[in-house]
Amino acid sequence: MIRLFLLLWLAGQSGASDALQHVQAGLEARKLHQVDMEIAEFRKATEIDPNLADAFANLGAAYMEKHDYSSAIAPLRRALELSPDLPVAHQLIGYALLAQGYAAEAIPHLHKVGAQEALGIAQIETGQLSEAVDNLSAVLAQRPGDPDLLYYLGHSSGLLSKNAIDTLLATHPDSARAHQALAENYLVLRQMPQAEKEYKEALRLRPELPGLHLELGQVYANAGQWPKAEEEFRAEAKLQPGSAEAAYRLGGALLQEGKAHEALPELRRSNDLKPDMPETLYSLGKAASLDGDVATAEKAWLRLTELEKNTSLAAQAHFGLAALYRKQGKTAQAQHEMQEFQKLQSTIAAPRSEQ
Amino acid sequence: MLRRLTRRNFLNLTALAAGAPIFELKPLRGIDFVLQNSPTPRKFLIETMPGGVALFDYNNDGLLDIFLVNGGRITEALRVPENFARSDPRYWNRLYRQNRDGSFTDVTQAAGLANAGNGNYGMGVAVGDYDNDGYPDLYVTNYGRNILYHNNGDGTFTDVTAKAGVAAGGWSVSAGFLDYDNDGHLDLFVTRYMDWDADHNKICGGDWRTYCPPGAFPATTSVLYRNRGDGTFEDVSERAGITAKKQRALGVAFADYDGDGFTDIFVSNDGMQQFLFRNNGDGTFTECALESGAGLTADGKGLSGMGTVFQDYDNDGRPDVLVTVLPRENYTLFHNDGGGLFSYQSLESGLGALTSLSSGWGVGLEDFDNDGWKDLFVAQSHVLDNVQQIDASLRYKDVPLLALNNHGRFERADSGVTTPWAARGAAFGDINNDGWMDVVVSTLGGPPALLLNRRGSGSHWLSITLRGTRSNRDGYGARVSVNAQTRFATSAGSYVCANDRRLHFGLGTADRATVEILWPSGARQVLKDVRADQFLEAREPERS
Repeated sequence: MIRLFLLLWLAGQSGASDALQHVQAGLEARKLHQVDMEIAEFRKATEIDPNLADAFANLGAAYMEKHDYSSAIAPLRRALELSPDLPVAHQLIGYALLAQGYAAEAIPHLHKVGAQEALGIAQIETGQLSEAVDNLSAVLAQRPGDPDLLYYLGHSSGLLSKNAIDTLLATHPDSARAHQALAENYLVLRQMPQAEKEYKEALRLRPELPGLHLELGQVYANAGQWPKAEEEFRAEAKLQPGSAEAAYRLGGALLQEGKAHEALPELRRSNDLKPDMPETLYSLGKAASLDGDVATAEKAWLRLTELEKNTSLAAQAHFGLAALYRKQGKTAQAQHEMQEFQKLQSTIAAPRSEQ
Repeated sequence: MLRRLTRRNFLNLTALAAGAPIFELKPLRGIDFVLQNSPTPRKFLIETMPGGVALFDYNNDGLLDIFLVNGGRITEALRVPENFARSDPRYWNRLYRQNRDGSFTDVTQAAGLANAGNGNYGMGVAVGDYDNDGYPDLYVTNYGRNILYHNNGDGTFTDVTAKAGVAAGGWSVSAGFLDYDNDGHLDLFVTRYMDWDADHNKICGGDWRTYCPPGAFPATTSVLYRNRGDGTFEDVSERAGITAKKQRALGVAFADYDGDGFTDIFVSNDGMQQFLFRNNGDGTFTECALESGAGLTADGKGLSGMGTVFQDYDNDGRPDVLVTVLPRENYTLFHNDGGGLFSYQSLESGLGALTSLSSGWGVGLEDFDNDGWKDLFVAQSHVLDNVQQIDASLRYKDVPLLALNNHGRFERADSGVTTPWAARGAAFGDINNDGWMDVVVSTLGGPPALLLNRRGSGSHWLSITLRGTRSNRDGYGARVSVNAQTRFATSAGSYVCANDRRLHFGLGTADRATVEILWPSGARQVLKDVRADQFLEAREPERS
């Protein structure tokens, strides 16, 4: 793209002077991928006419082609001295400076030509994380799924998040949010006693803060302390009656404790608040099945198998349906569901606890 | 909702108020055994798996004796052909005779049980009177070759493996005697774990260096030996359908789950589906766990099945299956719904809340408080000795799980053990003949632990020893009901262990019992108005 732009631009700038003849020769060498020849011709052009911006820009471009970014910078600077608005020179020097680690110097050049991807990367380097996220998000919208973009966007978002948390911890170390942030870190590290302590302190400071009970409940669930997990999820559900996740987590804890009858309304509520979440549908079917509500179980699992085709949850739903039908004496349907389950099992990696 | 204050609830409340644990950790006087599993940095998987405990009365003096299976010596240099230095007395299996004063005497050498063979790394033990001579025989499983010791009746044993043809080979783990064809002679089932040897060992976990999961090694097959009745056995594994599917089998338990009069086999497999071998009654078995609902969790997931027990926990007369597993799987309870079907009831039974982070091996369903409901005991410890570094919420060593059965729902109780162990085997029996069930636990690198039941008060019990005449002499496979409770006669179950073959029943407040025995021969025997608090021998009627 840059190359084509350069050629078109240079075509419009060509003259009859000797210097321009060397520029023309350089462009011919470029077509033949003879980079060293290219460099020699452009250099001659700059020696003959030290004020020919085109020659300097082309010389810089040739070095860029050779990945010799260090050598590219000087002629590109000269090109911009001679022609300060030369877009290609701005773009190339922006890339060259960025490649050489001079992100701060690269940014004005990249900004001038709207090279958002490179600009975003340069902004990560200079710590302008918010701007980097904006620029990278804009490019990702045009090129969704690009792995490099996804990486840089994730990286910059993570750094932005870390910066915010570091600032929070530095400026408000005794705040509820600071304790929550610490607790979340401990939770990720599976250091449950420390996580529990920080969440409890956060709750002591701001008991009304949404999400704290939910996360503390997760700590207890991970530690196998299900009655405590239930208590926290229940507190969150009370605090946020519109939270589908709180209802889902509460239902899950109740289910783990063998209280299927109590779990069922919570999971129903979760599904009403946020319909067709596969995890909720699966747990709803499970609770209903354990509670003897065959119709609800069947409906939830059938809906799940409509929504999900090749996932482990879909396999689980087929397995649940097989058991349900088997108990009802519906042998053919049970066999069909078991076949679907086995089919999926053979395509999905077999679940296995590593620990 | 108001809950009726039953006598059981009252007893629980008073026990709780008193803070009284069920067991007391007692020293095993005269027992100096240390289970030598010999862990090495090379993380040979066999190091994590021993060792068996057998509670049996080898000399018929009315006292339970203890047989302990040892591992062997392993060094980092271990290569095929492996040598585990079993001729060194430190690595012998040991037999301890119980004395009248409750102490034990090491009779290993005198009994002819020293040196289990240098190529054999010990795993488990099974007990059964395979020749119906009235003396219990021993079958020891190994990584290597298994050994059948015939009890000579004079305090000595003879290695009859070669004659009997039951060496198996490979990596055997648990074993049990059963009479699958009801011919009156005990047959033998042996679980085998995987195809493994020291030259093909693997280390997993990257920098963590952990033991590998079973899926890292090829699966294998288990073995069924039919007793010909002349002191020899025939390997019928293939003919009987046992080898039809590859397994990673660790535990085995027996019961007649479908009431057809033939003993069925449940095998706990590690890292895969569990197996239920339905006895077809014609010498063959059909593996039917999946279609019976006893193969996977309710979520259709495989299990890290280790120990297993096949007894009726909810007093509905049908044997249920309990499997001990790894953390985040829940100890698995397959409830026998009748009609040949099981349903996963770990959550309803309370095991979900109790065991979601537990790792269990030896397991028993025994009525520890004599209230008429079988309680749960599990020997616990993770497989990985460095698991806590990998996951801070898990522990390598753990205390045992004791859960009392409150009308089909398990509730945690104080076992009395406060020091965590790397526990493996758990064998159940009434060591001191007081009518209250005790437990002996094996621990890796440590001595066995005796958990002596502290005894409650006010509850009655009955202990029944079966004496088969037309059936096998041990009465294995009989279905025994006492005051609406049922036990299936076996010494197998748990993990690598053999339990007291006497059938223990808690009777609660009842001081009389009605006993109904359905013998493997088909004979039905009813004993009415049986006095409680006694050891009763029930002899099978000679004629029906």
